[in-house]
Amino acid sequence: MYVREAHPTDEWQMKSNLKDKDDVCYAQPKTLEQRVIIANDFIKRFKFPLPFGIDDMGNAADNAYSAWPERIYIIDEGGHIAYRGGMGPFNYKPEEAREWLAARYGAVKHEPPKSTPDVTPASTSGAVAPTPGAPSTPAPAAPAK
Amino acid sequence: MKRLWKWTAGILGVLFVAAFAMLSYVAGSPKDAYGMVRYALPHMHRGTLKVGSDAPDARIVALDGVSRFHIRERTGDRPLVLVFGSFT
Repeated sequence: MYVREAHPTDEWQMKSNLKDKDDVCYAQPKTLEQRVIIANDFIKRFKFPLPFGIDDMGNAADNAYSAWPERIYIIDEGGHIAYRGGMGPFNYKPEEAREWLAARYGAVKHEPPKSTPDVTPASTSGAVAPTPGAPSTPAPAAPAK
Repeated sequence: MKRLWKWTAGILGVLFVAAFAMLSYVAGSPKDAYGMVRYALPHMHRGTLKVGSDAPDARIVALDGVSRFHIRERTGDRPLVLVFGSFT
């Protein structure tokens, strides 16, 4: 889920942005169209294989989930927060979320992506929905923060 | 009394400089320390969501920039992993 930029050129740009071999330098988007362009550039450059979504200019998702600059959540089948990752960059830990999923649903089998994600609403959920491999595995004891 | 004010102002000044120096060290440079205070701190909010809370809904824009969908539309059958981030 793409949210407002963390280190745009017109705000807090870091040296690491300038050294980035991929030359990732963008100003903070002022319009939705600009957000869409950056999000699509990200998808193309990294051949990002997962469903993708963009927060609107009102930052509704960011505000609801305290998402900026980066964060991971897992929502369970009942629509409740099952895992709440820490705020990035220092507490952004994908491996922790992966371990949480493996403990609760069994190891996730990854298949190589066949193509970039569709842009239709039906497939751009901004999220990954893992298939439960071993539903009988008990949930881990509240690893989230 | 005037002397007390001078000492107080001096100590506060030293503490401010020390705090900024420490933040500069942590952030990487004085410019980054300023950036952290100016741009990051206002947006750093832990929020009230906890494990077990109802997952908030939000309307999301698809990559085509036109279509919209709701997070809640994607929940129910399977767990949903939300990964938030930006490009820079």
